[in-house]
Amino acid sequence: MPQMSTAMPWLVRCGVTAGLVLLACRIATPWIDAGLQQPAVTARDGSLITFNRYVAEPKPVIALVGSSVSWRLKEEYFSQASVRNLALAGGSPVTGLAIVAEQRELPKIVLIETNVLSREADDALVEQFSGGKAGPTLLRPVRMAVAAFELWNHAPPNAAQAAAAREQLLRQPPSDFDNRVYVERAVQQMNAEDPTAVARANVARIGKLIADIEQRGSRALLFEVPFQPETENTRTASITREIVAAAFPDRNRWLHIEPVRSELRWADGVHLDERSAQLVARSIEQALATKIAR
Amino acid sequence: MTFTSWQFGVFVAVVFGAYYLPPLRHFQVQLLVLASVFFYAFGQSELLALLLVAVLGTYLFLVLAFRNRAIWMPAGIVFNLALLAFFKYKFLFIDGASAQLTGATPVDYLLRLPLPIGISFFVFHNISLLVDLTREKAPPRLADVFLYIIFFPQLVAGPITRAAMFMPQIAPKRLGDVAFVEAAKWIVAGYFFKLFVANNLNEMTSHMAFPLYEALRTQDRWLLVFLYSYQIYADFFGYSAIAVGLGRLFGYRLPVNFNLPYISASFSEFWTRWHISLSTWLRTYLYIPLGGNRKGAARTYLNLMIVMTLGGLWHGASISFALWGMLHGLLLVIERPFLKFFRTPHPAVQVMRAGAVFLCVTMLWIFFRLPNFDHALGYLHGMFVPTNNPNPTKLFYNLALLYSLPVLIQHLGAGPIVAAKFGRWEPYLYGMLLALAYLEAGPEAAFIYFQF
Repeated sequence: MPQMSTAMPWLVRCGVTAGLVLLACRIATPWIDAGLQQPAVTARDGSLITFNRYVAEPKPVIALVGSSVSWRLKEEYFSQASVRNLALAGGSPVTGLAIVAEQRELPKIVLIETNVLSREADDALVEQFSGGKAGPTLLRPVRMAVAAFELWNHAPPNAAQAAAAREQLLRQPPSDFDNRVYVERAVQQMNAEDPTAVARANVARIGKLIADIEQRGSRALLFEVPFQPETENTRTASITREIVAAAFPDRNRWLHIEPVRSELRWADGVHLDERSAQLVARSIEQALATKIAR
Repeated sequence: MTFTSWQFGVFVAVVFGAYYLPPLRHFQVQLLVLASVFFYAFGQSELLALLLVAVLGTYLFLVLAFRNRAIWMPAGIVFNLALLAFFKYKFLFIDGASAQLTGATPVDYLLRLPLPIGISFFVFHNISLLVDLTREKAPPRLADVFLYIIFFPQLVAGPITRAAMFMPQIAPKRLGDVAFVEAAKWIVAGYFFKLFVANNLNEMTSHMAFPLYEALRTQDRWLLVFLYSYQIYADFFGYSAIAVGLGRLFGYRLPVNFNLPYISASFSEFWTRWHISLSTWLRTYLYIPLGGNRKGAARTYLNLMIVMTLGGLWHGASISFALWGMLHGLLLVIERPFLKFFRTPHPAVQVMRAGAVFLCVTMLWIFFRLPNFDHALGYLHGMFVPTNNPNPTKLFYNLALLYSLPVLIQHLGAGPIVAAKFGRWEPYLYGMLLALAYLEAGPEAAFIYFQF
C-alpha cells in the first residue's frame, strides 16, 4: 500500500494539529472573561448572548419576555439595573418565558409582551438553555478576537454616560422619518395573516407557565406595546388581542402602560424607534411602580 | 443527508470501509450504486422512483440509439429535457398552492411533486451519456450507467462530469491506490470554505432578503453584495471540493469546478474559471452544436446570447435568472471585439480589468440572490440612494473581513506559495483549517446550488 504508507504521517500531523487546536480552545473556554461575548451578527445572536448571560449570572429582579416588538426595549433604557430583556427578535414570547421557567431561580417579576403570538415557541432554544445550561462550550477564536477588539474600541458606556445619552435623546424632538412604505407593507402583511391557531396554543402555554412560576413565588404581568394606529386594527393585531383578552380577563394580570402617544414613532408601524422605545421603557417602569405600590 | 451532517460522515465511513473489503472488490460498482440510491432516498425518498425512471429511461434510449442513433439519441435528449422542463418550469404555468389543478388525480399528483434534488445535474449527465457513448461500439453495462449518473458525491450539485471522462475510470479499485493526502486536502478545504466562510457570511447576507434589505444603509447594501459574491464562491467551491475529494477516496477523478474565478481579466476567462463543468457542458453540447464561432461574428454573438440565457434559465424559472444569464451573454458579446487588443497587457491594466470583471460579476449576483425581479430591482435602487432608516441593521465589518479573508488569500495565489515554500508545514496548516471549520462554523445553511 504505497500511497497509504506515505500518506499516513501527513494525515497524522493534520489530525493531531486539529485535535490540539480543539483541545486548546476547550481548555481556554472557562478562562475567558464572561463579559467578552461574541459579537452578535444577527438579532437572534444578540438574544442568544442575552440568554447566556441570563443563565450564567445572578437572577434579575425583572425579566421581560416577548417578540421583536419588545426586543427594542433595551436594558439600558430602564433606570433599574436589574432588568433583563429576553425578548426574541423573530420569535415568540413563549420561548423566553419557558427559558425563565426552566431555571431553578426565578426573577421577582416577569413581564410578558402579548403583541405578537403568531409564532411558535422555539423548543430547541428552550432545551438549549434549560436547567441552567449555557451556550457554546468551545471558544471560537475569530469571534472572540473580534469581540475583544469591539470591546476595546467601543467600550460600553458606564451608568452615568448611558443615563446622559438617554436624556439627550429624549430632549430631541420625535423623528420625522417617513415610514409610509413600510407601514403599508406591514398592514398588508398583518391583514393577510390569521394567527388564531398558533396564538391560541401560545396563550394556553403562557397560562400554564404563568401558573408554574407564580406557584414558585414569581409574579407575571402581561403588557402590550403600542403599535402605530394604522397597524393597531389589522386582522393579526385584533385577533391576537381578542384571544389574549379572553384568556386573561383579570385586570390585575395586566400592566397598563400609558406613554404619550403623540411622542411615539415607529420604524415600520410595528417596531418603535430608539427614542420611543425609551419612552415606553419609562412608562413600563412607572406602571410597575404604581402596581407594586397598590 | 447533507455533506455537513454527522450522518453523512458515518455514511461515507461505512461505504468506504465496505468498498475496499477484498470480498467485495468485484461488487464495487454495485456497492456505490446502492449507496448512492440510499443517499438519494435519505433526502427525498418520494422521488427516488423518478430518479430510477430517468436513469432506466435514458439507458433504454441509449441501447436503442446503438440501432439507430439519428432517431433514438435525439429522442433520449428530448425525454430528459422534458423531465427537466416539467419539474423545473411547471410552476410558470400552474399555481402549485391551488386546491384544484387539472382534476385528474395522477396528473395532479405529478404536478404537486417538489423539484427533485439534483435534477438539473443528473439530466445533464444523461444527455452527456447519450451523446458521448452512442459513438462507441457497444452500450455500457447498466450498473456502470447507474454509477455515472447517480454517484453520490456528484449527484446533487455536480461537478457535471462528461460520460467520456467518467466511464473509462470504472474499474476495480485498490485501497493502496487511494491518493489520501490529495483527497484530504480537497475535503478539508471544502469543509473549511463551506462552514467557516460561506455559512458565516450567510448570516450577514441573509439581510439581503426582502424585506430585510429595507433596513440596510446604502454602504451596507454594497458591502453585502460583495460578501454574497464571496459567499456563493465559497459555498459552491466548498461543495465541489468535497465532491472531488470524496471522488478521489473511491478512486474517481471528478473534474475541478473552480480555478480562482475572481482574478479573471475578461468575462470569457471568467467562464473558464467559474463552474467549469457547467461551462464545458454548455460549450460541448450547446454552443458548438449551434455553430459556435464558426459561422461569422453575428451568429457567434447570437450563439453566446442563446447559451448564456439558457444557462441562466437552467438555474431556475424566473426572470431574474434569465436576465442574469442574458446580461452575462451581453458582457461576453460586448468584450469579444476588444479582446484582441489585450493580448499582452501591462500588469496594471490586467489588475484594472480583473477589478472591472469582478465588479460586474458581483453586481449580477444580485439577481441570483433575489430571484424575485422586483426585489432585485428594489435592492439595486437602494444601492444608489441614501437611506435614513432610524434603525439600520448593524453589521460587523471586521467580522465580514475575517470571514472573507480565505477567499481573498486564495485568489491572491497563496496556495502555490504555501505549497512551494512551506510544503512541510502543509499538514499543520490543514489541521488548523479543519479545527477552525469546526470551531467557527456558521449556522447550518443548505448549499446554495442544492436548489438547482
